[in-house]
Amino acid sequence: MEITKEAICGTLESNDLLVKVAPRNELEVVISSEVMRQFGVRIREVVEETLLQMGVTRGQVVIEDKGALDCAIRARVQAAVLRGCECDELNWGVL
Amino acid sequence: MNYGLEFELLYPKEDAGGAAEVRRLLRASNLDVEPDIQFFVVARKERRIVACAGLAGDVVKCVAIAAECRGTSLSLKLMNEVQQVASIERGHNHLFLYTKPENAVLFEGCGFHQVVSVLGSACLMENTPVGIRDYCDMLAAFRQPGERIGGIVVNANPFTLGHRHLVQQALGACDWLHVFVVSEDASAISYADRLDLVRAGLAGLDRVTVHAGSRYLVSKATFPSYFLKDAKVVEACSTALDLLIFRRYISPALGITHRFVGNEPFCAVTRKYNRDMHEWLEHASEEGPALRVVEIPRLEVGGIPVSASRVRQLLGEGDFEMMAHLVPATTLALMRAKYAGRARARTFRRETRIIEVK
Repeated sequence: MEITKEAICGTLESNDLLVKVAPRNELEVVISSEVMRQFGVRIREVVEETLLQMGVTRGQVVIEDKGALDCAIRARVQAAVLRGCECDELNWGVL
Repeated sequence: MNYGLEFELLYPKEDAGGAAEVRRLLRASNLDVEPDIQFFVVARKERRIVACAGLAGDVVKCVAIAAECRGTSLSLKLMNEVQQVASIERGHNHLFLYTKPENAVLFEGCGFHQVVSVLGSACLMENTPVGIRDYCDMLAAFRQPGERIGGIVVNANPFTLGHRHLVQQALGACDWLHVFVVSEDASAISYADRLDLVRAGLAGLDRVTVHAGSRYLVSKATFPSYFLKDAKVVEACSTALDLLIFRRYISPALGITHRFVGNEPFCAVTRKYNRDMHEWLEHASEEGPALRVVEIPRLEVGGIPVSASRVRQLLGEGDFEMMAHLVPATTLALMRAKYAGRARARTFRRETRIIEVK
């Protein structure tokens, strides 16, 4: 999937995260988190896994995490990417 | 914790009652309503406004929270709402805000990151950790080899022979010159036209790169007057933020060692900006390597310094013969073709209004 426009998803509420995506020529994931020291590595894993599953190889993904669980991270990243790809037809099986 | 909290948009020009309530809330935090705010995001509790944040284009201003609601993470909810509204309703994903340095930590919790800070007065923040970095990466692609690399920022409203003179003089003193055109569309001549005229006016000169402006470079919308009552302090710190961005980010990205500027015989504000340039760019500090600021005497035609404001005056008067002595052919042609009609139209409208009054 190709990120073609800027999009956001999520909130800055506790236990949630705000995901912003933008078109770029290379893939870049930037993470800020309240729990960076404890879970920074795991958050990055979840984000990169999700992007890989969706076939996103290019684009900037900026994350402000407020201590979200893995499932929330996955859902927010998916929704932000779908918005950024202006994607109408979705292969739910892959997600 | 925030029972009964409702967020809504408030347009101060359409809702006088709401605007007055917002004004009272801001005044309690020693802030004023800025006239360029398009709308406020407000939080209501039992119909009373307990928090507000204004949006003027891509700049968040006038953020206040009622004293009794502080410490309830309301600021987080408010700033979250602002970013959602700005993105979805206005398409602004990249926001800026000014605050006092002591409040920066509060906004850092809301997804904002510091760009520059002037101790004791003001701090510029943006809602991305990589905004200014991306801009510097983009600029770095235009780096040129050389020991003396010059930088000039022009509004060129419109481009005159004075600008060309400044660039030629600067080129005599450096190996390469980067010219930035202010991108704020708040001038008589549109940004697109100003940029085209700079490019056309400098065509044929080697060792010059003309750059499009950016939000990080003399952008008028990002002016931190909202939390400072004293106009003199406002002026001082706004130039400081702008100049510190140039020094800390833009100069290192391009290897700029010298900033060139025309001396200013007319405008007091520009004269002050030139003075501040020496202060913030030349003097030692932790804000990156020092630059040399070089003031170049203005080009004079018939004993009078050439200025863009004089050209605009001539445009208003329709005196293209006089203008031809002050601007290159490319500027003259566009002024004649595109802006002369507008100047006339404006005069005409003014006349009809006078007739109506009678």
